[in-house]
Amino acid sequence: MTIDIPFIWIAFKEIVKSLPITLILTVVPLLIGFLIGIAVALVRVYQVKFLYRAANGYVSFFRGTPIIMHVMLIYFGFPLLINQISERFDLGIQANSIPIILFVLTALSLAAGAYLSEIIRSGILSVSNGQLEAAYSVGMTSFQAMIRIILPQALAQSIPNFTNIFVGFLHTSSIAFLVSEKEVTGAANIVASTNLKFLEAFIAAGMIYWGLTIIVEGISFLLEKRVTAYNRGGVS
Amino acid sequence: MGKAFDPLLIIEFIPTLVHYLGVTLQILAASIFLGLILGIAAAIPRLFKIPLLNQVVILYVSFIRGTPIIIQLFLVFYGLPAVLMLFNIDISKLEAIYFVIITYAISNGASFAEIFRGAIRAVDYGQTEAAYSVGMTARQNFFRVVFPQAIRIAFPNMANSVIGSLKDTSLAFTIGVMDMVGRGDTLIASTAHALEVYISLSIIYYAVVLLFEKIFSKLEKYFNRYQKSNVSTTA
Repeated sequence: MTIDIPFIWIAFKEIVKSLPITLILTVVPLLIGFLIGIAVALVRVYQVKFLYRAANGYVSFFRGTPIIMHVMLIYFGFPLLINQISERFDLGIQANSIPIILFVLTALSLAAGAYLSEIIRSGILSVSNGQLEAAYSVGMTSFQAMIRIILPQALAQSIPNFTNIFVGFLHTSSIAFLVSEKEVTGAANIVASTNLKFLEAFIAAGMIYWGLTIIVEGISFLLEKRVTAYNRGGVS
Repeated sequence: MGKAFDPLLIIEFIPTLVHYLGVTLQILAASIFLGLILGIAAAIPRLFKIPLLNQVVILYVSFIRGTPIIIQLFLVFYGLPAVLMLFNIDISKLEAIYFVIITYAISNGASFAEIFRGAIRAVDYGQTEAAYSVGMTARQNFFRVVFPQAIRIAFPNMANSVIGSLKDTSLAFTIGVMDMVGRGDTLIASTAHALEVYISLSIIYYAVVLLFEKIFSKLEKYFNRYQKSNVSTTA
């Protein structure tokens, strides 16, 4: 087996077409996960009765099991659930008619919610208590203080962590190919097995992921500089 | 899509699957051990800014951080035999588990290298100055003063890395390794109860991760035993 270098470029052009699916599988779960994450983080920070335990359990479970398990549990579990509900209430919805990508998106969103809630929570806890006291002293309500003072600082401080999660989920989206989703890894797998050139196809896929990661890290670096511009430290 | 859901099967599957936990832990232990060696080797050029090697390590870390583990797995699985063939070494008959261990070792090595580098640089330079002022050599300073403090700083990140790696081993089955998930796959093929198998697998992974977290938090307390409580990271 030798390496066919020109084929890497051919494979690259073929695989790059599936990039939109990878991006959807990365961005949508992170957006939904962000909303879940904020809600869960607030529940945990304020220690809302009863809900607090549920939130802890959710975060602990999703962080404590591989994401491939979440994908598989939902991929196999939801159709059963949907069919059962549909039968009971006579809704006439067939689980087979639901595109697989929705199951994958659900699973990834739930996982993203758990990871993001931890980041947002630690962001909130890292904002100095004096900020909250200052907000109260000028007459803000708890809600105003949270929305106007605490959250913006917490989120700005969390940018490096958000970048890590973004890159992490970009890479995690590759497991969608295990449920035959045609994103970058899935496309690479197809190109590889139809041409019997596995190494070249995966080199091309690797380059796509690597390039994307470098771009994302670059953007995050610029963003961090901008967003934390107010935060100059003590003397200057 | 298989047969009706049967909760009893979940309990029935667990012992069968736990039997293969050993393989998963074996992959983990071997790849962590090799990763530690690789990580230390990779951190040195970064810390001492050795020309060329420094750039090679930067590229290595960037690549590992920039690609999904599953792609790395495929690259090693298909690439390593091709590369070694150039030197007339035939490893195409090698068992899949070795490719998994090599991949995870390379991947862990990159994250460990970054963790070590960060930890050593996080030790206050005043410590080194103090060590020199009492007449220690550079080597004594490193092993007696800087390194023990760096371990304490690196430990929580290392623990996270190990747990992440444990969860990543669940992808080993994609190249045909008979670990827990691989065994689960064959169970699905023979019983068609996919959901129950994956619930059992999740329970086992969750239990192992919780156990690891418990052990690591104990160890972290131990490493921080000389820290004053107000600066402890375990609070």
